[in-house]
Amino acid sequence: MTEHTKKLLEYLQKGDYRKERVRGEIDVSAEARGRSELRRDALLFRVMLENETPGIFPYDLFGFRRSRTDFAFYTDDSGKRNAQWSAGNLTPDYPRALALGMDGLRADLLTKKEADGGAHGEFYAAALETVDAALSYADRYRDFAEANAPEPLFRALCRVPRQKPESFYEACVFLQFIIFTLRCNRNTHLGLGRFDQYMLPFWRADVRKGVPEETLFETLEEFFISQNFDTDLYQGMQLGDNGQSLMLGGYDLDGNDRYNELSDAVMRASLELRLIDPKINLRVGKKTPADRFILGTRMTRQGLGFPQYSNDDVVIPGLIRLGYAPEDAADYTVAACWEFTIPGKGAEIVNIDQMVFPKVVRRELFAHLEESETFEDLLEYVKLGVAYDAGEIVGKRKGVHYPASPYLSVLIEGCAGSGKDVSEYGAKYNNFGAHGVGIANAADSLAAVREVIYEKRECTKRELLQALEKNFEGYGKLRNRLLSCPKMGSDDDRTDGLAQVLLETYAAALNGKPNDAGGVFRAGTGSAHEYYYSARNVGATPDGRKAGEMYGSGFSPSLTGRPTGPLSCIRSFTKFDMTRLVNGGPLSMELHDSVFRDEDGIEKVAGLVTAFIRLGGHQLQLNSVNRDVLLDAQAHPEAHRDLIVRVWGWSGYFVELDRQYQEHILRRTEFLI
Amino acid sequence: MSEALIFSIEEFSVHDGPGIRTTVFLKGCPLRCEWCHNPEGQRFENEIVKSQTGCANCGACVTAGGGRLDEKSVDVCPNRLLRMSGEPYTPERLLQRLYRLLPILNEAGGGVTFSGGEPLAQPDFLCECLDLLKGKTHRAVQTSGYCSAEEFRRVLGRSDFFLYDLKLPDPAAHRRYTGADNAPILRNFRTLSGSGTPFITRIPLIPGVTDTEENLAAAARFLRENGVRSVELLPYNRFAGAKYASVGRRYHPGFDENALPRARTALFKNAGIDAKVLWGEHID
Repeated sequence: MTEHTKKLLEYLQKGDYRKERVRGEIDVSAEARGRSELRRDALLFRVMLENETPGIFPYDLFGFRRSRTDFAFYTDDSGKRNAQWSAGNLTPDYPRALALGMDGLRADLLTKKEADGGAHGEFYAAALETVDAALSYADRYRDFAEANAPEPLFRALCRVPRQKPESFYEACVFLQFIIFTLRCNRNTHLGLGRFDQYMLPFWRADVRKGVPEETLFETLEEFFISQNFDTDLYQGMQLGDNGQSLMLGGYDLDGNDRYNELSDAVMRASLELRLIDPKINLRVGKKTPADRFILGTRMTRQGLGFPQYSNDDVVIPGLIRLGYAPEDAADYTVAACWEFTIPGKGAEIVNIDQMVFPKVVRRELFAHLEESETFEDLLEYVKLGVAYDAGEIVGKRKGVHYPASPYLSVLIEGCAGSGKDVSEYGAKYNNFGAHGVGIANAADSLAAVREVIYEKRECTKRELLQALEKNFEGYGKLRNRLLSCPKMGSDDDRTDGLAQVLLETYAAALNGKPNDAGGVFRAGTGSAHEYYYSARNVGATPDGRKAGEMYGSGFSPSLTGRPTGPLSCIRSFTKFDMTRLVNGGPLSMELHDSVFRDEDGIEKVAGLVTAFIRLGGHQLQLNSVNRDVLLDAQAHPEAHRDLIVRVWGWSGYFVELDRQYQEHILRRTEFLI
Repeated sequence: MSEALIFSIEEFSVHDGPGIRTTVFLKGCPLRCEWCHNPEGQRFENEIVKSQTGCANCGACVTAGGGRLDEKSVDVCPNRLLRMSGEPYTPERLLQRLYRLLPILNEAGGGVTFSGGEPLAQPDFLCECLDLLKGKTHRAVQTSGYCSAEEFRRVLGRSDFFLYDLKLPDPAAHRRYTGADNAPILRNFRTLSGSGTPFITRIPLIPGVTDTEENLAAAARFLRENGVRSVELLPYNRFAGAKYASVGRRYHPGFDENALPRARTALFKNAGIDAKVLWGEHID
C-alpha cells in the first residue's frame, strides 16, 4: 500500500466526510404532474443531480461523492409518494458503457429511437432526459475538477464519461461515475459484476504501454477504497448490505479458465485493504488449481467472510436448464448476495418471495399427523404442502415489477434495444427467484418425528402436538429427546434424504413456472434476513426449536443441532442436485480462527473448499471466527469498531448490527472450540 | 471385540499430522501433566461434563441423579448443559463413523489420527482400529510414549506416522510434573527413532518447567543421540485450565502460568536440530 493510499484509507475510516452533507428532500410534485411514470422518474433523477454539489475528498482521485443525503420526491394526485428505492439487485452492463462512452450510449439511444418510430416514445424521451442529466452533471463536475481536483482526475474527466476510456484509471473514473449516478437514481444493491473480465483490456493495454504495475495496483486499491465511501446512504437491511459484490474468474463454454492477472491483483488488493466493499466472489470448478483456494483461504482468514465460492460445474448447467442461453449462463455473476444473474442482461427479481420449509412442516403436522398411520403418509402431506406453498408464490406474484427506472435501463442491453424499461420487462431475462428458508430445521423436524413417533414410539402424536403448542413448557425432557435426534449437517443419509425430498418437491413445483414478466420462477436455497423474519411467527417445531427462534442461515445447519464436524457438514450439503436450485444460497460454515494460524492450516482449509466443490456443492462461504472476541465486542463495542463479520450475503461491522443478527452469528459459533 | 470411550472426534483437525485429519480422542491417560489442557482425557471412567454458563440452578439434574450428578441427570437439564464425556465405541462402529470421511481425508493428503488421553493405554482397541484402517487411509498416533515396550512395538508396526510428545528427560522432574516414570517414554522413543517410521517430536514449552535451558539442552542432547534432526516446540496455552471446572475439578498448576515460555531455538540450532515454534505466545 502506498503512502497516498494509506492517507485515503485513513480519511475513509475517520468518517468525518459524512457530516458535510446537506439534508432535506426536494419536492418536485408540481413538475411531475402530467408526466408519465417513466418521465417522472427521469425528473427525480435530473433534479437530484441538479441539486448535487461537486466535491472531492483529500487524496481522492475518483470524485463523484454525494453532497446530499436525501432524494427528490413527488406526490401524485392521489396523494401517493413515489417509491423511495428503485430497481436493484442486478449488475448493469458496464462493458457496453465502457466500450461506447456515454456519448456513444446516447447516440445509440437516438438511433434506436428513430428505428422505433415512436412506439416507445416515452421510454426514449425519459432515457434521453436521464442521460443528458448525467452528462450535464459530468460536465459540471469536470469544470469543478479543473480548479479543485488533482490534475489526473481533471484530465481523465476531459475524456470520460462522454468518450470511452483509454486507460485503466480512466475506466475506474468512468465506473465511479456510473455507480454514483445510479445511486442518485435510487438504484440499490448493484453488483460490480465480472470486474476482472471487463476491466482486463484496460489493465493489459496500460501494461503494454509501460505503466508500472505498482501504479495500476495503487489505482485499483484506491478505487476499492472509493467503493466504501457513502455506503451509509445505500439502501440495505443494515450497514454493509449494499450489494457491492464483485465476481472473479470463471470458466467459459470451452472450459477455459478466465481467472487472470487482474483477478489476482483484485485478490491481493482486497487482502491488503480489509474493507467490506467490494465483496469478493470466486467462480471455481473441479479444474481450479489448489493455489487459488489457498489464496481464497488467506482472505477467509481475515475474518471478513469472503470470498464466497460459486461452482461453475453446477451453476452453468443449472442456468442452462432454466432456459438461459449457454453463453449467458457462462457469463453469470451474483446479483448482490448470492443470487446468480447475468450482468447487463438480467433484471430479475431474485428475492420475490420465499419458501419457509419449517412453517410448512409445522402446518402439515398439525393438520395431518394424527391421521397419518405411517411416516410415509405424513411425508406425502408435507410434500403436498411444499408444492402448495410454491403454487402460492407463483399465484401471488402477479404483475410484480420494478419501479420505472429509465436511467438504469439505459445500462441494460435489452431495454435500450426494445424501448422497454426494466419495469416493463425490457431486459433479456426477467425471471423471479425465491429463497428456501430453514431447510435444516424442516428436515430435522421430520427426522425427529420419524424417530420419536413412528420408529421408537416414545411419545404419542397428541403429546408431541401439545408440546409444540405449549412451546415445550413442561415438556423439557421431550424437547431434549427431540434435540438429540439426528440433524442435517452430520452426514446422516436418512435425515439428509428428508431435505432432499423437500428440496426436490420445491424445485419441481417452482422451477420453470412462467411468471407474467415473460420469464420463469426459480428456486433457491438462500434465506437472507428471513432466518429471522420468517421465524418470528412460526411456533415451536419438532427439531426442538422454540417458537420464534431463528433458523440457520441460508443452506446451513440449524442453530439447535450439534453438528458432528465440517467434513460431515460438507457431505450433508452436497447430496442434492444443486443444478435445480440456482437462485443460489450458500452453505455457510464457521471455523475457529486458530485453524488459520499457520500456512499448514491455510492449506488444509483450502483442501476443505476443494472437497466441497468436487462433491458438487453449488456455493460456499466460510468464516474465521472467535467467539470470545465476538462476546467481548458485544460488551465493549468501542474496542471493536473494525470487527467485520459475514451476516448473510454480505459482510458488515459487527458492532453496528442489530442485536438479533449479532445473536445469530454468536449462535452459529456455539459449538466451535 | 474391545471397546473404548471416545471423548471427542474432531473431523477437521489441522495440527495433528499431514493433510486434513480426523482425530479420535481416547479417554484415559496414565500421566497427570500439570499443564494438561484436556482434563476430559485423563480418567478412564466415564464422567459428566457440565457447561459452566447458562445454569438456571433448577436442581433437576441433582434430583434425577438421586442427590448427585449421574447419567440420569443428562436428559433432564432444560438448558442441555450436561453430557457424558465419553461415548463407547467398538472399532467397527468407529470405522463406520470414519469410513464416510475417508475420501475427503485421502484426497487432501490426510488421514486419521488417534490421540487422547493416551491412546497407547488401550492398545487392543487401538491396534484393532489401526488394522481396520490399514490400506484405507494414512494412520497416525499422537502419544506420550508411556507404555510397555511390547505394546509400543505392536502399535509401531501398525501406524504410518507418530506425533511423539517429549517433555522432561530428567526422571525426577518428569515424575514430579507428570506423576509418572519417564524410562518407558525414553526407551520407546529410541525404538521409534530407529524404526524408520516417520514421526514428529513435540516439546511443550511450560514456563519454568520444560522451557529451562537445562531441560531443553537435555532434550536436544537426547534427540541428537537418537539421530533426530527436527523438533516442534509448542508454547504453553494459557487457557489450559478452562475445561477443568466442567468436569468438577480445579486447575492448580505448580508453575507461573502467566510467564511467557522460552523457546531457545538457538540452543537447538547449535545442536544441529531444526526447531520450529508452533502457534502461541513465547519469547525465544
